[in-house]
This record gives sequence, C-alpha cells and structure tokens, in this order.
Amino acid sequence: MSGSGMTGGPVFQLSEYLISKKSFLQWTDSLMEGFTIIGPAWDGRQTVFREVGSSAELTLNYVTTMLAPGKLHIYRPKEKLFRFSLSGRQEIGELPAFNGKQIIVGVHPCDTNAILYLDRTFLGEFKDPFYEARRNNTIIISLNCTDVAPDCFCRSMGTGPFLNADSGFDMLLTDFGDDFLVEVKTERVNRLFNVSGARRAGNEEFALKAAKEKSALLKFTKTIDIAGLDSLLRDNPEHPVWGQTSDERCLSCSNCVMVCPTCFCYDVVDEISMDMKTAVRHRQLDACQDRKFAEVHGGNFRARRAARLRQFVTHKLDHTRQYGVFGTVGCGRCITWCPTGIDLTEIAKEIQRTKR
Amino acid sequence: MNALKPSKAAIKNITHETGDVRTYEFYVGDALSADPAPGQFNMIGCPGVGEAPVSFSGLLKDGSIRHTIKAVGMVTDFIGRMETGDEVFLRGPYGRGWPLEQARGMDLLLGAGGVGLAPLRPVIEKIVRERDAFGRVLLLYGARDERRLLFLKEYEAWQDFLSLHITVDELAAGAASKYSTGLITTLLDRTELNAERTVAFICGPEIMMRLFCRGLLLKGANASRLYVLLERRMRCGIAQCGHCQHGGLFVCRDGPVFSYNEVSGFADGLL
Repeated sequence: MSGSGMTGGPVFQLSEYLISKKSFLQWTDSLMEGFTIIGPAWDGRQTVFREVGSSAELTLNYVTTMLAPGKLHIYRPKEKLFRFSLSGRQEIGELPAFNGKQIIVGVHPCDTNAILYLDRTFLGEFKDPFYEARRNNTIIISLNCTDVAPDCFCRSMGTGPFLNADSGFDMLLTDFGDDFLVEVKTERVNRLFNVSGARRAGNEEFALKAAKEKSALLKFTKTIDIAGLDSLLRDNPEHPVWGQTSDERCLSCSNCVMVCPTCFCYDVVDEISMDMKTAVRHRQLDACQDRKFAEVHGGNFRARRAARLRQFVTHKLDHTRQYGVFGTVGCGRCITWCPTGIDLTEIAKEIQRTKR
Repeated sequence: MNALKPSKAAIKNITHETGDVRTYEFYVGDALSADPAPGQFNMIGCPGVGEAPVSFSGLLKDGSIRHTIKAVGMVTDFIGRMETGDEVFLRGPYGRGWPLEQARGMDLLLGAGGVGLAPLRPVIEKIVRERDAFGRVLLLYGARDERRLLFLKEYEAWQDFLSLHITVDELAAGAASKYSTGLITTLLDRTELNAERTVAFICGPEIMMRLFCRGLLLKGANASRLYVLLERRMRCGIAQCGHCQHGGLFVCRDGPVFSYNEVSGFADGLL
C-alpha cells in the first residue's frame, strides 16, 4: 500500500462496476494472502465484526451489529501504550503499533461516518500512533443499507442509509440482488481490484441505485428533527426530562457508551506484573456514565445521574462546536442496547415539545 | 512519536509549604516540548501508579520547572512520599495559559483561593520581571486558615511589585491574626478597583471563582476580561480521553484558562 488515498485523502470516484456477489466474494478470498479480512459474521448468537477465514463466513445481508467495526478494529477497546521496567532504574519503552494490513468489508454508512468522526479525535492536532497505524493500514469497504432496523435514524442525521461521505473509505457496495454495484474510491483498492466478469456500470445502474436509496429512505420509523437542536439542548439543561428519565430508568450501566461507535473516551490504566518488575500502561474505553468519570479532589462535576445522562445525550445531539458535526451517526445502538429503553430521540422530542 | 510518552524528571529540591502541600523543583532538561507558559500544566506520573495534571507553579529556569502539589489522590500521594533525587515521568506543557498579552498596559487583579495560588505564581514571576508592562497589580489571596497559606517566604519580595491582601476563612479559637478574616469575596468587596481597566486572573475552587467573578461584574468589570482556570479530571492532556469535556470544550486543550464569558452558564459547572 502506498500513501495515496489514505485517511482523509480526497475521494475520487475511480471506477464503477457491476459484478456478481459470487465474484465479489471470490475476490475477497483472493485478498486473504496479503490481508486480514474482517467482516460481519455469525458467532452463533448474533452478527459480529470479526476476522474471517473465508468469504463464506460473511453475512453481508446483516442489518446491524452490537459493536461497530471502527471501535473494534481501528480504535481498539484496549491498547497497550508503554512498558515500564520497575526494577533498578525505571525506564520507559514504547510498544509497536499495528503493522499488519487489514480489510474491513461491509461497513454500513453510519459506521463509516463513525470512523470519520473518530479521525477527528485521534488524527487531529495530536495523533494517536496506534489509531493512525490501524487506520492507514485498513482498507474500508462500505456497504449501503437497503434494510433499516427499528432504531436506525441515520436518515435524520444525513449519515445514511446510503453513504454520502467524500473521503476516508475505499470502496462502496450497493446490493443489487445477485450483484453488487461496486464503486472504487481510492487508488490503493483500485490496484487490488482485478476481477474477471466485472462489467462497467453506467447510468442505468446508478438510476437503480437511486431508486434503491429512495426505497430505503421510506423504511425509517425513527426520526429526529435536528434543526436548532444543539442550541435548544444547551438552553434547557434543567429540563425535567433529564431528571425524570435518569431517576426512573437510567441504571448508569454505560451500555449506551460502550456500543456507541463515536464515543471515544478512554482511561489510562497501569498494570503491574505479578513479579513487580514491569508495568504496562494501557488506554482502554471509559464511560461518562461512570460515577468517577468527572470526579476531582473535593468534588464531582457530574455526581448526579441526570448530569451523566445529559452528558451522553448532549454529546450526541449538542456540542457541535466540538468538531463541527453532531456526535451521533444515527445508528441507534444506544437505544437498542439500553436495558430500560432510554431513547435519545425521545428525550430530544420531549424538549422540543415543551421547550421554554 | 507518541504524545502520551512521558520523560523522566528528577526531583532537585522539595519545599514543604503546608501539611499536605509541597513544592517540587524538577530537572527536566530539554524534555518538555516547549517553554511552559504561566497557566499551562504537565501530566506528572509514576509507572504503575498513573498520571495527574498539575499546573506549573514557576517558570522554566536552568532546565528546571516547579510544581506545587497537594497530596489528595493516588498519584499525588505517591509523589508526596518521594524525596530529592527520586524520579517522576512527566509530559507537557499542555493547554492554554493566562493571557498575559491582554493584561499588558492594564491593571491586573490576581484572585487566588487555597492551592489556586500555585498556577498564578508564574504570573507573579513574570510581573516581577516586567513590572512596567502592567498598571496597578493586586493579589487577593484567601485560604481556609493561616496554616494553609502557600509561598509564605516570598510575600515580602512580591510586595515590592504588587499589592498583596490576604484573608483567612477562620481563625483558631481565640487566636489573633495578622490577616483579615472572612471569605475572599468580602476582601474583594473592600477593594477599590478601576474595574473598567482591570484584567483579572482567578484560580481557586469553582464556587469561589463564581462568586469572585460575580463580585467583579458588580463592580463594573468586563466579563471578557475575567479569566478563570478550571480543574477537571484528565487522563491524556491532548483532547482525546474525553474526561475534561465541558460543554463540548476540552478543558485540557481549549483551557484550562478560559474567559468567564466562554464558560459561564455551562451545565455541570458552577460558573
């Protein structure tokens, strides 16, 4: 892989093809020599993004997963940062970043946008070398959604069901029944894409793509009106919906944060070896729902559960000043996996309905 | 290059300030990524223990920096038991410091509560070096009691350059004091200011900064010229770990010094 078409590089629509799903999967298998292939696969209970040994394991018709591919395979839940020697004179050693090559196939538009969001955190003014190494060495093959789960609201956020991003991924698939419409976006994947039986796609295929998008857009049941939302939430920090929702339903379990594809917060934790001779410093996912998250000596800025719930929701639906975009991609996972069914779109609607 | 990688720094000297507060002089050589500005901070840590954000309490001098640290948590307790010659791992400087440029030619009011005097000490060092750059300089300092006053030995020298007023919240029963008694806001009420040409740098508990700022606004100060230094939990110092987020801002990067305007009225804050 060269440096062209890497993270944040300009997307250029290089070429478009129509190929049979069978040929596409054969192509994926042919890449296994040089790449680790990660994709949606059945684990016996649900579809998860994991390494596959054969394209036969891929379940590209999945609707949603509990965990997003970007927060498993690019931003790792736990990463070793440094190793310290503790015996004698203390020394610090750096640990190697990812040096493999991987392809994640079947990344939905929400999850592709979530990776672009994580780029803002980890490839900004300060770069995280572990994230950067994985990001640069991961080819992302996105897949437009033709099915919609009940909690999906990407349509309202402009992040789906069809991918509209202008950089940061390599290839885009659209399900055409027996075939995939394949849009090659970057040079690095263009070089890999030598498939016999692929034929150039043209106006007819893109008309069909547009029709499929239109049809998918009609399937949404969950919506949110984002016009003026961030200033509205900012102006209603003491709205009763925060206290009511948190008192009656929030368990502070952090499921919402753990399944969120854009929640980037981490803790830094040192672990000392059993012989006390070395320590390893990790960064690992942390959650603003944890009581200690905003605690300092002599106080806690979010001691109240309502404040912690508000932090999560406003980080998704307010705080656009942070990166210039909303913090949610509308994947709906926090709704799906909340044990008491707290729904951030309902919280927003309640504030919109009764705003002061 | 990993921004989270700390460098070793040896303790050159320790000054006992109060019961649980000590000032450390660390030899850092050229380990810091820049010359620290007043109001910025380092992440200081020990392997196996962790890291904590600590403001500079002195300007860089001959490769050494100062931090004044109160032992209140795992990392600071651990450092509190260290001795001269021991080594810590630190990284920085981080954040946006006090806007000294904006204070040039203006009156400067420093308001400090408790250990909040520590991040203002480098400002005082700057004033001592460049006294003519500022108009009238006032330091109002409040502590819970006399035993908790920091930098006691330096007051005399400072008073050649600024006007120092100290208040303590309470006196031990029957004790006489050379300081006035009462909250720092009472001291502020008694202080005459040319509010319109005053820039204020304030550091202390958030509730103290809130009341201090409001007192200044009542005196006619301009909210955009009041600056506060916020304390938040931090794990990275580089706007990634998310702990210090406040209304969508990262206190570690966008602050820790903010104008009152920027952060007043935020949920989860007292300002």
